[in-house]
Amino acid sequence: MTGRDPDERLLRLNAALDGELDAMGSLQFERELRDDPTFAAEYQRLTELRDAVHRHAPREAAPQALADRIAAMTASVPAPAPQAATIPTVTVVPFRRRPWFDTRALAMAASLGVLGFAVGAGLTSVRAPGSGDVAQHLVSDFARAEIAGQPFDVASSDRHTVKPWLANRTTVSGTIVDLAPEGFPLIGGRVTIVDRVPTPTLVYRHNEHVVAVTELPVDAKGVRASNAIETIDGYHVARWVDANLAYVAVSDMDEKTLVDFVTAFRQAQKPASEGPAP
Amino acid sequence: MSSAIAEQRFREIVPPLLDDAYSLAKWLSQNPTDAEDIVQDAALRALQALSSVSVDRPKPWFLAIVRNSAMTFLARNRRKTVAYVGDMADLDTVDLRGDDDAAPNPEQELIALEDGERLRQAIAGLPSPFLETLVMRDINGLSYREIADATGTPVGTVMSRLARARAMLAKTLRAEA
Repeated sequence: MTGRDPDERLLRLNAALDGELDAMGSLQFERELRDDPTFAAEYQRLTELRDAVHRHAPREAAPQALADRIAAMTASVPAPAPQAATIPTVTVVPFRRRPWFDTRALAMAASLGVLGFAVGAGLTSVRAPGSGDVAQHLVSDFARAEIAGQPFDVASSDRHTVKPWLANRTTVSGTIVDLAPEGFPLIGGRVTIVDRVPTPTLVYRHNEHVVAVTELPVDAKGVRASNAIETIDGYHVARWVDANLAYVAVSDMDEKTLVDFVTAFRQAQKPASEGPAP
Repeated sequence: MSSAIAEQRFREIVPPLLDDAYSLAKWLSQNPTDAEDIVQDAALRALQALSSVSVDRPKPWFLAIVRNSAMTFLARNRRKTVAYVGDMADLDTVDLRGDDDAAPNPEQELIALEDGERLRQAIAGLPSPFLETLVMRDINGLSYREIADATGTPVGTVMSRLARARAMLAKTLRAEA
């Protein structure tokens, strides 16, 4: 440091540049600028630097996908419970790429006492005890999402939007296919917690009906292939396993339409599948 | 306070500030994907907070949340790279004027200022207290008072950090010219 005076001078140059001088300060500054060429040259340099920052480091537009997710946070039904002001302590859940984000959302959802909020928070939760049937839990999750009126966290018919969104939040990443030509347009995706692991769920629409396909690791608990369409709590469930992943599809469609959907889904995935189609 | 009111406030406040929030988060994290996560986390915190507070000045309020989310994120995910500023005395050793070399060649400096990539690298290389102050001022357009509120520092500190940030930038650009 070379003493307080030069510092004070520089602070004043910067304040002048930022329009932060009061009237008296401005008056004094203008006099100095006029009387001291070095001071004026310094001010000129500083102005050029600031202009260059404006030019080369402008404010950047937020990605549309981010804007969509933020918009979706308040698109759900109003949460009725009063909210706690503090965020509970975060506990680390294993097997996650980014444990902090989802666990905070989960803790928040718990503090609200309203799982409906979790739809906006980018998270739905399914408790799947070790021996339990994963399909039963996915059906409950499906029903809950239906009641909340917001069956997805990222609303997009573009698989290139849905895939990276899910890939950032889950450890499972299959091929995302759009089945619009087959009559099942992709409408979005959500994260479902199965056995404490965040897994991707793809949501497709067919007329007034919705089908949610959850992708699970083939070695996940409770995963098994089943040739027949099951009915659980009035919803139809299809499960299958390919070379890389296991799938559980839950839907309010009728049985035949669900079979058509599964056929279309597996057909569309085939080219990307590395193993032989089962 | 019903959450419907919180949601309405949220819709009024947050979407118009997303570009500012994303830009700040991206500069602080220096990673576009992390910036999205930081902003989303900040939005969650904002939504929660809005059920119990009303906000007079949305911009510094929300950017303060983004800044804190970024700090939390960086502390959790990049423990090794976060510059903790515990002792401001260290920072005072930075020459405020940044011109302890011979007087710069004005032409040289102009050339450096035209090199956007180098300028952005110089900004990114600033220690975080200086980086956040510079970004909030020159990219987000906050006033000194608002930056002081958002970062929880006195206005005098904001002023000296900003002056130092710009001096460091000028020095870096000159050194590399």
